[in-house]
Amino acid sequence: MKVQPRAVKEVLQGLKKAGVDFVSLLPDSDFSTLQEKVGSDKDFTYVPVSNEAIGVGACAGAWLSGKKPALLVPTSGLLVATWPLTSLCMAWGLPLLLLIPYRGDIGDAFWLMGPYKDTTEPLLRVLHIPFVTVAKTEEISKAIIDAQGSTISWQRPVAVLLTGETIK
Amino acid sequence: MKRFECLKILASALDPSALVVANVGPISREWNALRPSDANLLQVNLGLCAAVGMGLAVSLPHRRVMILDGDGNLLLNLASLADLANQELKNVVHIVLDNEAYEGGGGLRSATAGKAKLEVIARGAGIGNAYLVATLDEFASVAQETLKKQGHYFIVAKVDQGSVPKLPTLTLDGKEAKYRFARYIERTEGKQILRPRYTHI
Repeated sequence: MKVQPRAVKEVLQGLKKAGVDFVSLLPDSDFSTLQEKVGSDKDFTYVPVSNEAIGVGACAGAWLSGKKPALLVPTSGLLVATWPLTSLCMAWGLPLLLLIPYRGDIGDAFWLMGPYKDTTEPLLRVLHIPFVTVAKTEEISKAIIDAQGSTISWQRPVAVLLTGETIK
Repeated sequence: MKRFECLKILASALDPSALVVANVGPISREWNALRPSDANLLQVNLGLCAAVGMGLAVSLPHRRVMILDGDGNLLLNLASLADLANQELKNVVHIVLDNEAYEGGGGLRSATAGKAKLEVIARGAGIGNAYLVATLDEFASVAQETLKKQGHYFIVAKVDQGSVPKLPTLTLDGKEAKYRFARYIERTEGKQILRPRYTHI
């Protein structure tokens, strides 16, 4: 499954309209097209990382430096990121926009993704990370803008989950 | 070699505008005693100093960023060395105060008490300027030299376990530290970080 080309466009537009200027991610097949676009776009400082926990830490440092970061993280990587999401974002009250292609949602036929239906939403709730789930491409941009406004206002991470027609 | 003596050398050589990230435990308490400043981000939790320091250094390339790490702290997230190296930064001094133990956790041995050599790992990760020092004179020489230069430096200082008595208590929690650091960056960089105005609100 991949973020669909139209959805990639919407994500990029949403990130720019939301003022996001720093993107971290672990190179992942779900993100490959989006990653290429972000990596070559001068509007973003692009920091690829070797695990998602490093990505959360890098985004924390970036926000404290005046950047507006986003972490693109798959549902598997969200599990890796739980340590800094707890010990940095929760403990320090740090904002972070999380963009998550919802692998393991109903309709994802790959058996290995099944556990993420059990982990993703409960994990976000446990970590006190409000989230919005977007299934239609035309709703992506607004969801990202709204989530970015909320994460800054509330000083805690907010997530956008991409599902339905946006990832196939 | 005493960690506190190493930190004294760093505190006297460091530019007041340098940003410092230090890991939770005695390193943060000792650094706070020597260089109390809103430019410090102290008590950053296990495995995360290098990542947070990378975020700062990438975002503010004109500011020097010093990462004060411990061996156990860095060992949890060694991959951060590779990610830092790939950013090809010119403003990072990464100091590992290696006491070969989890001192805050009771003093049990870390992997550097065995076969692991962090300076070799750092070179393998792509950080060419990686040094191991075992005496205070060596430390002073390498640290003072690197703090004058641009580049990405990694220094492992082999230190004894144990801290100094009567250190002031760290009274800031993460939330207050966040506000202080962010306000400091706002003042010194002319940026608005907290409550920026959004065009759609």
